Amino acid sequence: MIFVVNSCTNNTNEIDEQKPNIDLTIQDAFPLNCDTLFFGETFNLKMIFTDNVELGSFSIDIHNNFDHHSHSTEVTECSLDPIKIPVNPFLFINDFEIPLGSKEYQTNLEINIPPANSYGDFDEGDYHFFISLTDKSGWSTQKGLSIKILRR
Amino acid sequence: MIFISTKGQNKFMLSGSITDENHRPLPGANISVNNSKTGSDAFGNYRIDGIIPGKYLVEISFIGFEKKSQIIDIDVDIVLDFQMQSSTLSLQEVLITDRYLERRKKEESQNIEIVNDEYLKQNMGGSLMKSLERIGGVTSMDIGSGQSKPVIRGLGFNRVVVVENGIKHEGQQWGADHGLEIDQFAVDNLEVIKGPASIMYGSDAIGGLIDVKQNNTPLDNTMNANVDLTAKSNNKLMGSSVSVSAMKNHIFGIIRATVLDYGDYKVPTDSVDIYSYRAPLYKKHLRNTAGKERDVHFTFGILKKQYTGKVFISNVNSKTGFFANAHGLEPRNVNTDLHDKSSRDILEPFQQVNHFKVLNENQWFSEKWKFETNLGFQRNFRQEWSEYVNHGYTPPVFPENQNFPADLELQFDKHIYSVNAKMSYFLSPKTTITAGLSSDYQDNRISGRGFIIPAFTQTTLGTFVFVKHLFSARSILQYSVRYDFGNLKTTAYYDWFQSPNETNTSWSFLQRAARLNKKFSNSSWSLGYNYNLEHLTMKINLGKSFRMPIASELAANGVNYHHFSYEIGNPNLSPEISYQLDAGAEITGKNFVFGITPFANYFTNYIYLNPSSEHDRLYGNGNQIYYYTQSEVFRYGGEIHAHYQIIKSLQLGLIGEHVYSEQLSGEKKGYTLPFSPPSSVIFNIKYQHEKLIFVQNAYFSVDYQLVSSQTHIVPPEVITPGYQVVNIRFGGEISIKNQTLIISFQVQNVLNNKYFNHTSYYRQINVPEPSRNLILNISIPFTGNLSIKK
Repeated sequence: MIFVVNSCTNNTNEIDEQKPNIDLTIQDAFPLNCDTLFFGETFNLKMIFTDNVELGSFSIDIHNNFDHHSHSTEVTECSLDPIKIPVNPFLFINDFEIPLGSKEYQTNLEINIPPANSYGDFDEGDYHFFISLTDKSGWSTQKGLSIKILRR
Repeated sequence: MIFISTKGQNKFMLSGSITDENHRPLPGANISVNNSKTGSDAFGNYRIDGIIPGKYLVEISFIGFEKKSQIIDIDVDIVLDFQMQSSTLSLQEVLITDRYLERRKKEESQNIEIVNDEYLKQNMGGSLMKSLERIGGVTSMDIGSGQSKPVIRGLGFNRVVVVENGIKHEGQQWGADHGLEIDQFAVDNLEVIKGPASIMYGSDAIGGLIDVKQNNTPLDNTMNANVDLTAKSNNKLMGSSVSVSAMKNHIFGIIRATVLDYGDYKVPTDSVDIYSYRAPLYKKHLRNTAGKERDVHFTFGILKKQYTGKVFISNVNSKTGFFANAHGLEPRNVNTDLHDKSSRDILEPFQQVNHFKVLNENQWFSEKWKFETNLGFQRNFRQEWSEYVNHGYTPPVFPENQNFPADLELQFDKHIYSVNAKMSYFLSPKTTITAGLSSDYQDNRISGRGFIIPAFTQTTLGTFVFVKHLFSARSILQYSVRYDFGNLKTTAYYDWFQSPNETNTSWSFLQRAARLNKKFSNSSWSLGYNYNLEHLTMKINLGKSFRMPIASELAANGVNYHHFSYEIGNPNLSPEISYQLDAGAEITGKNFVFGITPFANYFTNYIYLNPSSEHDRLYGNGNQIYYYTQSEVFRYGGEIHAHYQIIKSLQLGLIGEHVYSEQLSGEKKGYTLPFSPPSSVIFNIKYQHEKLIFVQNAYFSVDYQLVSSQTHIVPPEVITPGYQVVNIRFGGEISIKNQTLIISFQVQNVLNNKYFNHTSYYRQINVPEPSRNLILNISIPFTGNLSIKK
């Protein structure tokens, strides 16, 4: 019994035990779950990243969810279009640095969604907007948002 | 040997010691001198006083050994030692008695636990490791209700070696998502060594050893059959294992078949929170975790006085579903109509594992030596199936003409050939030397759309010498040294799909793994000492062990889409080296036992997968980079056990375990190691009676387990709160018209608590442990004589 009580000692070294946070509750945060983006337009990624020690880096992945394979990480449910087979889906993958020493970082990132590539126009429909954020210690937070990308 | 002392006396004393062919003391042997009888004590010593002068017949008998007798004139005090030869007729009763356990514990300088098939049936969980979890220092990493991996004092994966019938069991130990392919109904006897056990079984056993034996054989000229029927309420499991065995003229054969079928298991919650998304569960069923297992075993052999030879052929096959609402850490949309139609169907994602083995064991004995060979062939074939989903740069629609189907996510096909030989030589009554050689070759092929480790071949060769010296029956010294050499060759691997370059201008098939040819060699050693008094046993062991880096640690370069991770191996990793000090002390009183087994362990370079702060687009498809890295690690901990007998039939018990780990260098300095089990203590009360109304050997046992929270975590783990759980076991033997039924009943999680297991595969997506589970096992043994026709 003494044995169990005794079990949590020597933890005086300061180690980071907290994940970073992706804050979508700020005013004009974008995109949010169930939002719509448009082909041929540029949108401003607006969210605040925070960490108790130091932020690491982040990545954005936008891929089609025409088969409804993945679920968002969010509470709200979005209405999805019927399942369809992709022909020329849009794909965006990139990783981004965060200035060294940041505990808080507000993104200021313009992302352009081109209307087409060499194979033709991109498919409209349900997409998945995935944000991954790390801190310096290697903790990470993911947010997967259900969005639509349409033509205006 | 006869020593005669001269003293003027009218009555004399006969005393001496009884040992086995390895000069190990045999406690509990029967000594009869004409009509007076006694038994040897814990150290094999006996003593009969008050013998009047005369001619006497001294007879020594012990079950499992050839009877010895000698006629002797007693007219002085006489010391008469006997060395017994084991009879090879049947080892069934001998190997699983408590005395054997007592003896092994006293002789082994490492901390050892031994259980038999009866223990496994009384504690039966969903898998072999789950059934062993009650043992102090042993935990399991569970993947659903029917699969788990061994963890000994917080070390698992490739750091724990499982040996079955003398040959190291080789599956995909490195992976977190599948269990140990061993049929727990086929286990007769099992030993757990807590702490490094590299000397005999290869350098990987840096954390411990699980030694599984199928050594029960029928008595000569008999035929036995055994039918086990088992059922569980939680996952509606129905299963049976049937064995038939016979022995005639020292030749025996055993066949066994095991069939298990189970549905989705239930958890005490209506929904599971995967991030912020709350996935509802239908009737509290953890969707798609049903499974089935089909195992067959065929064993035959010959048991002669100076030779035993056995062949074990087995095939263990399982198919189990993964929780459908998440694949890894990725939340998935689920077709609930399809999945919730039946709780017994196994839909994608699921895994299928087939493990085939042919093992041969030969032992030759003489008075002076024992020679043993083990040969083995194993094939481990594992497939993971899931619906094709495009991730990263994989094509949106699966292209035709690939050499694997779209839904085959991973396939591992491993062939292993093993050869071991060892020789024990009894140099003197006090000193035994054992030397051995072991070698294996494995060929690993891969397929499927995912890539985590490359195909590789591995050759290892090891040699060892082990010396055991008895200063007296009380004081035993053992020391050993081992040298291992290994050669690992990986095959280059390219993606089956193209990815763009940095400027998005050209596309190419990325090389994921390079051809590597790595050679490793290193030595292990150990030094141990046991000191045994009548009521106190003490042991201490110091050892160095090492482990060669495995293919994933050296050469991984793949994206694990379901864990949002991009895992990169390091071809320059050194062999992992560990120094460990183990100790043990046990006090035995008239009605109590108290034991403590502490350890301290230092790794110069513990190899693990370290999540970094980086993301990678080109090779990692935007995922977080995890690097295989090495750091200095210090660990300590131990187990305590105690029991107190209130009255003959009522006993109180306590089992506790604790491990602390800390990284002393590297990026994660100050952090613990991944999968560190929390501290735990079990309070037990057990009632047992030889006969209770119509039940023989009746027992009723309640475990109250308290588990601390696990706040020592390392990315990407989550803190796990503490919990308490109550388990009940009861059973006994019932005879109906001369037919015995052995009944074991369990109620696990009696209070239906919702709690999380820190080392569960599903912990990170917040899946709680199973809700209340009623387990029934009925074992029906049949025995008959084989008629001898002359």
